[in-house]
Amino acid sequence: MSLFEKFSQARALEQALMEMPINPTGTIISEVVSASEAIIGGQLKIMAGTNNYLGLTFDADCVAAGQQALLEAGTGTTGSRMANGTYQQHLDLEIEIAEFFDLSHGMVFSTGYSANIGMLTALLNTEDSVLIDSEGHASLFDGCRMSGAKIYRFKHNDPEGLRKRLSRLGEAGKDALIVVEGLYSVRGDCAPLKEYVDVKNEFGSYLMVDEAHSLGLYGENGRGLAEDQGVSDEVDFVVGTFSKSLGSIGGFCVSNHPELSLIRYASRPYIFTASPSPSVIATTRQALKKIKNCPELRQIVWSNAQLLHSGLSKLGFQIGADVSPVIGIPFEDREVALTYWQDLFNKGVYTNLILPPAAPDGGSLIRCSVTAAHSKEQIRVILDAFDAIKNG
Amino acid sequence: MTHAKIVTRLIELLESLVASVENFDQETALVGDAGLESIQVIEYLCEVEDDFDIVIDEEALSYVNTVGDLAETILKINLGKSS
Ligand SMILES: Cc1ncc(COP(=O)(O)O)c(C=O)c1O
Repeated sequence: MSLFEKFSQARALEQALMEMPINPTGTIISEVVSASEAIIGGQLKIMAGTNNYLGLTFDADCVAAGQQALLEAGTGTTGSRMANGTYQQHLDLEIEIAEFFDLSHGMVFSTGYSANIGMLTALLNTEDSVLIDSEGHASLFDGCRMSGAKIYRFKHNDPEGLRKRLSRLGEAGKDALIVVEGLYSVRGDCAPLKEYVDVKNEFGSYLMVDEAHSLGLYGENGRGLAEDQGVSDEVDFVVGTFSKSLGSIGGFCVSNHPELSLIRYASRPYIFTASPSPSVIATTRQALKKIKNCPELRQIVWSNAQLLHSGLSKLGFQIGADVSPVIGIPFEDREVALTYWQDLFNKGVYTNLILPPAAPDGGSLIRCSVTAAHSKEQIRVILDAFDAIKNG
Repeated sequence: MTHAKIVTRLIELLESLVASVENFDQETALVGDAGLESIQVIEYLCEVEDDFDIVIDEEALSYVNTVGDLAETILKINLGKSS
């Protein structure tokens, strides 16, 4: 059998996508105009499908910090953290990110994906049990699978389902790791972290929360959903990414467990990959300062979120009750979702189209996200586009 | 509980989830024949776990295609519990 025979499904999918007037998975951004606009296919689009929640990608201070690091430390580290790739700046960021979360230890990875794989494969082995929300991000599932641990799923946002499963696991439940997210990236719904903490404490298990999408958005200090729900101290491991609110790239874990330092010796995605470039570290550190020093950015993104959420609700779209900068609009029919996506695109609004099997509920979704960089006028244009398609 | 009894109960649970009048049996494939979308498979499996008061890990599920396979897995788990 040819190596490539297994790609027959992928080939069929590619074919179908190529036949569409615009391939939603293949949009090419020819020019980035600002944190909220880009040129795609020769036309200016409002970007309503990014993770640039605080709109920091063009922040003057972040750009300047990156430029300076490029000049001072060069384009790349050319080495792993365990070899020549640990610069003082990496350590500084680790201290700063831990301080930001008011936790004792921090560890930086090259992406959020590798942070999740790196943490889970190091923490778990075949003797362990891990319980994971069924809608967890692919990186969380991949990490669990690569670890060889026994994996038990529970229904999305269902602490009672988790409790039942831990109780059935008996002794094994005591040392089990529970893995959930903060804000979920597709539907924009929030995890009941407080309830998870109660369950964790009942059984003495451990809790890991991926705050990839909630960092910078939730909590008094922008630390995420655990802070918002008053349970920061009870989360054993917070993981996350620099590629969303912080507008950069990279991943991290912060924790009060001193054993985090030992993970460095055990985590292959930490050891066997090059460390983040100095400019990436510099922009991330600057962006972290922005979250701390510019709470007004959070106010803007939340007021934009409110505006889009209430606008879409008024238009009659079946969206979730949680108001957040991420809104998933479900469509039962894949063709309808596709048409919506294309019509929005033609009206100058870029959103994310999520088709089965990627959509969490097996249906199709249009994912819309707002940022602090969107003007009220741009939100109006996005809503008008939805209105025209629905009622046009 | 015997394999046959487990199959009967699994089919009852399946019928309550998919509003269809199909004739399910142990050969019914969970994805495909039973018409379950991936999200429903998770829902179904969670119900099955609750109903049988067990947990099934992903590894064990990777061998499950049909209702009969699932019954086999549950049988093994129950044997493990009672031994
Ligand atoms: C919940 C969650 N975790 C982890 C990641 C991976 O982050 P990164 O893009 O930094 O690899 C993502 C991003 O897609 C995510 O949504």
